[in-house]
Amino acid sequence: MRRASLAALVLLTACAVPLDPPPPGEPDGAGPPRAGGVLRGASPEDPRTLDPARGYDTVSWAIEQMLFNTLVDYDAGTTIVPELAESWTMSDDGRLVTFTLRHDVRFSTRRAFTAADVKYSMERLLKPSIHSQGAEFFHGIEGAEDYVAGKATEVSGIRTPAPDRVEFRLTEVDPLFLHKLTMPFAAVVDRDTVERVGDDDFTRYPVGTGAFVLEEWTYGQRLKLARNPDYFRPGRPYLDGVEETIGVSAQLAWFKYQRGELDLAGIPPAEYERVRADARYQPLLLSRTTLRTQYLGLNCALWPFDHVAVRQAMNLAIDKQRLIDLIDGQGVIANTILPPDMPGAEPVPGYAHDPAAARRKLEEAGLAGGFETTLWTYRDPEVSLRLAQSIQRDLQAIGVALDLKPVDFPALIEAVRHEGTVPVFLLGWEADFPDPSNFLTVLLHSRSRDTNNNTFYANPVVDRLLDEGAPLLDLDRRFRLFHEAEVLIMQDAPWVPLFHPAGSAVRHPRVRDYELHPLRPSRLENTWLAW
Amino acid sequence: MAYFARRILRALSTLLGTAFIIFMLVRVVPADPAVSIAGPKADPETLAAIRKDLGLDDPLVVQYGRYVWQLAHADLGRSYMTGRRVSDVILARVGATALLAVTSLGIGFLLGLVVGVATAARRGSAIDVAVLLATLVGLSFPPFWLGNLLIYQFSYRLRLLPLGGYGSVWNLILPATTLAIVEFFFYARFVHTNVAATIASDYIRTARAKGAPPERLYLVHALRNALIPIVTVLGLDIASLMGGLVLTETVFNWPGLGRLAVQAVFGLDIPLVAGTVLFAAVLVLLANLIVDLLYGLIDPRVQRG
Repeated sequence: MRRASLAALVLLTACAVPLDPPPPGEPDGAGPPRAGGVLRGASPEDPRTLDPARGYDTVSWAIEQMLFNTLVDYDAGTTIVPELAESWTMSDDGRLVTFTLRHDVRFSTRRAFTAADVKYSMERLLKPSIHSQGAEFFHGIEGAEDYVAGKATEVSGIRTPAPDRVEFRLTEVDPLFLHKLTMPFAAVVDRDTVERVGDDDFTRYPVGTGAFVLEEWTYGQRLKLARNPDYFRPGRPYLDGVEETIGVSAQLAWFKYQRGELDLAGIPPAEYERVRADARYQPLLLSRTTLRTQYLGLNCALWPFDHVAVRQAMNLAIDKQRLIDLIDGQGVIANTILPPDMPGAEPVPGYAHDPAAARRKLEEAGLAGGFETTLWTYRDPEVSLRLAQSIQRDLQAIGVALDLKPVDFPALIEAVRHEGTVPVFLLGWEADFPDPSNFLTVLLHSRSRDTNNNTFYANPVVDRLLDEGAPLLDLDRRFRLFHEAEVLIMQDAPWVPLFHPAGSAVRHPRVRDYELHPLRPSRLENTWLAW
Repeated sequence: MAYFARRILRALSTLLGTAFIIFMLVRVVPADPAVSIAGPKADPETLAAIRKDLGLDDPLVVQYGRYVWQLAHADLGRSYMTGRRVSDVILARVGATALLAVTSLGIGFLLGLVVGVATAARRGSAIDVAVLLATLVGLSFPPFWLGNLLIYQFSYRLRLLPLGGYGSVWNLILPATTLAIVEFFFYARFVHTNVAATIASDYIRTARAKGAPPERLYLVHALRNALIPIVTVLGLDIASLMGGLVLTETVFNWPGLGRLAVQAVFGLDIPLVAGTVLFAAVLVLLANLIVDLLYGLIDPRVQRG
């Protein structure tokens, strides 16, 4: 008896290893920002590139944003603010955008920045040999198509009437143009360096006007940035530098954080609930919903999802709260396509979890006996597969037998583009711009069926509303049209919106003024270390 | 001499075959390299331009010809993800992997050899049974589990060693121990079985009857004859050691080829995948070639046969 209770006790203590405390120190405190210190971070992999024309992933952007600047940028939310540009004007027809540039900006080589650098950087981005994933965003500049096709040696629509002025002439009005200019693709690069090292090696010798300069990049091991003493914002950055250790798994990063060896870290999914519930971590925990929607895509071109009632049944059948539990509460339930933080997002009549109603919808479609279909998902044992299994269970309850087909991510992206291949898929979308069109037009306009409209949804009324809204600079009217489109799309139900994931991180108590951004990796210009 | 030449020729032809298989494998992957370069959001024109630029639209024969031509010039192409030369990337990483592999294999093999011979000599004793049981348990340790356990206990809890990383001998201890433990159990068991089988053979009994001292009996007569299968396994083991390296490097933040290969696979970086696989194949071939050549030295009859 005693032996049994001893064994039980040992087992119990083994299971309940208490959560270790965060690194010690006062997490907040008054006082002016302190200059100095090196912020220590960790990343599971090297950035793919530090050439802003080429990077299109969070890891690359996070570093590029510290080395380079764009004409305009976002504030802590999604409002556009000046950066290299001091101010800008837009003509009445919306097709001419003129920027007045700051006079006090230098590259980290000390050369003064001028309008010619903007033109050079944009033309470099558009050069076909760069293979920039961002080039397509700027094809609406006059003369860009000719330049890309090799019919012109410069982009006629980018003009530099004075060293501190740059003009962009657009082929048609583009309400997203300023948003496009905030993307790191449009960052201003140092022409001298590019010409000295060549386009392919610029990633190893990236030179811009940013708050930091690249000090060392030992591939697979570490990446060090040092403060740029000539940075145009006086007194910024506060940090002397940033040091990223590369190749650190999420678990190892968590150990290093708890031991005080890292200033910022992610939280391993298995620990998230405990960390959130622990008062010692409360002041250090950063969390923010991003402009992302995770959804179940239903292929409207394939039986039985060519029936609206079947698609609506899917919407009614899925228990989204359980999905939220499966991602350890790191997100909010999605009842709409647009994420709640998206400008112009409004409540849309959606579908509650109601298996009985779902079964009635199937009867309506003549499928009372259910059917069999296949869900394609990303092969990642941590999250996607668990979500897929939960969905499988929900659909089983209404008589739908769901086979799971987990594949690698590139293969998934490829397969969903073929109309007759994938009946149901689990994917997410993250906004490039804080504008409803970036979800609705890109993912659900019939014109996008050969790219990102992987549900092959087509509704002429929705198309018309989206096309009508697209050129509008008047945000009220613009958002109203997109909202009407979203209401119709939700009725047609090509998607089952599942949830909007939240981003989260923990900081060392000495880290101050660090915030997560809804759209971009966080910048460290205003961040400082209290000791 | 003819023996050596034959072996080297055979290795070269195997290498060509391997290169062909790798070429075919990376082309039947059901995913578009253009998508892995341009990203999931790219438009069809961009994708088409990239395919054209990489020559992915050319007939397979043309692509294979170009591939072999580049290989002959030691050109493994450029990584899709980073644009760096695959050969540069591999060279930058090979040192770290070699250090870890040689240390762990060396320690694991030598300890395994000693324990294997020692227990074979005391067959049936308590220590023999204990070692057999221990190897059974030890061989079932997955390296990533063992690695995480060691790092949690020795680095995180006891704070005796750094939490992963690379650069000093302190960083090497835990990853090398992880792999060496797995290797040790494997060789202890294998050497034990082989030496024990040899000891039971007639010529050993004869030698013993002639009054050969035990050291000579075990170390000269038995070990030398048991060595051929042991060396064979050592050659084959290079391949499985690489599997262990992939996991161990990932757990310990060790900047080696194994972690590189994992990143390449997840990013569908085909030139990098093909390059690392080919490089690993060359290493395995080299190891086996050396083993073949060693046979000739251990047992001169092999050369004649």
